[in-house]
Amino acid sequence: MGSVIEVQHLSKSFGNHEVLRDIDFSVNKGEVICIIGSSGSGKSTLLRCINLLEKPSGGQIIYRGENILDEKHDIHAYRKKLGMVFQQFNLFNNHNALNNCMVGQVKVLKRSKEDAEKIALKYLKVVGMDHYVNAKPKQLSGGQKQRVAIARALSMEPDVMLFDEPTSALDPEMVGEVLKVMKELASTGLTMLIVTHEMEFAKEVADRVVFMDKGVIAEEGPPEQIFNNPREERTKTFLKRTLS
Amino acid sequence: MSIEYIISMITNNWPMFLRGAGMTLLISIIGTIFGAVIGLLAGVIRTIPKPERKMKRILLKVVNLILSAYIEFFRGTPMIVQAMVIFYGSALAFGIDMDRTTAAIFIVSINTGAYMAEIVRGGVISIDKGQFEAAQAIGMNHVQTMWSVVLPQVIRNILPATGNQFIINIKDTSVLNVIGVTELYFQAKTVAGISFKYFEPFFIACILYFVMTFTVTLILRYIERRLDGPENYSMIGQPPPQLMLPRNNANID
Repeated sequence: MGSVIEVQHLSKSFGNHEVLRDIDFSVNKGEVICIIGSSGSGKSTLLRCINLLEKPSGGQIIYRGENILDEKHDIHAYRKKLGMVFQQFNLFNNHNALNNCMVGQVKVLKRSKEDAEKIALKYLKVVGMDHYVNAKPKQLSGGQKQRVAIARALSMEPDVMLFDEPTSALDPEMVGEVLKVMKELASTGLTMLIVTHEMEFAKEVADRVVFMDKGVIAEEGPPEQIFNNPREERTKTFLKRTLS
Repeated sequence: MSIEYIISMITNNWPMFLRGAGMTLLISIIGTIFGAVIGLLAGVIRTIPKPERKMKRILLKVVNLILSAYIEFFRGTPMIVQAMVIFYGSALAFGIDMDRTTAAIFIVSINTGAYMAEIVRGGVISIDKGQFEAAQAIGMNHVQTMWSVVLPQVIRNILPATGNQFIINIKDTSVLNVIGVTELYFQAKTVAGISFKYFEPFFIACILYFVMTFTVTLILRYIERRLDGPENYSMIGQPPPQLMLPRNNANID
């Protein structure tokens, strides 16, 4: 199990506000990692730094032995190896469900339209949205949009999937359908990095849980440790607040 | 003045009015299309995010400066004056004897381009940041993001403003009579000069202008509806029953 992504001494500031401080952290192949923590603790920023939607202020991100923060490194080539699922879905409004899953494959991976369509349909089926290929985003419910967004990311056949609070913008009754898809994906051996507020879900699927507090990793370990025997006082307080 | 006189003026001079209206349409259509293309290009360039490399950053800054100068200059001076300066200036400075129609199309194009550049920039800014991020996250560069994701949405959103610009162009080509372009106003003036009547030829021109602008309005409305696509979508096969539930929300705009 080699590490796919290694984050070293990562820091990020917005102006003089330091959001991330000296983060050391690695993602191993096939691992499902859940990042938990209260709002403003920097979990989303960490995820967005990893695929460079936010530019880190300091530190290094090593992807398969290469420092991707190096100026010479091709950002686009790196990003296509990471799939990203957003809180607000961010489906392309001008494309239907199928095209949402195809456009990246055709434009970025230079796959032929036929191949792209086959792969898109395959992943739309995985998320249970293959019946909605013709639907535009505005015609879909939140849960459906998020499942198409997952299929879009999977269609790029990435090394690592990043999920940025994928269920936080959903109505309660739709959270289940998205989590179900994610559980299935986790069981296939996909490398996943998930920022979430769903503690039950984290407990169930995570190989490792990372608890963040005030811009640092306060504690990390297997879910049994974090949820049942947290070592840090901060973790205990957080869990008491969220689980009660 | 009487209805009969107006009718006889039309029957006697209709080729002139028709040619004038045709010239007006030609200049405003081509001018609007070229202008829209210039505007799209300028708008896309002006929304390129700040590059990492220093050389590229400087280059982009220079290009942006030139574009700003172009936009501010052509928005900030009257088209009638630009027409005189460009038409007579090109002859004087470069010895280019511009064809009047070409000059007219050129002037309307760059004028429209200056306005459209700002309309496009506004359209790009109004697109949700998430659309850019999603495109970047799957590895698209700026051009791919713009072409496949952002511009199709921008074009839909700026269509009403573009229609506005088109209608303004139909009306404002009338100022090009100062460089002797035989558009509708010029023709009306010619008829007036021959007949020594002023109300009637300009009244006819007035009606013709309105017919042209209103037709354009109707056509653009139709295109907008077409671009929005059908309100409904068809399902492929039958979805599993538990997935039917959220479909209550489907088809709602």
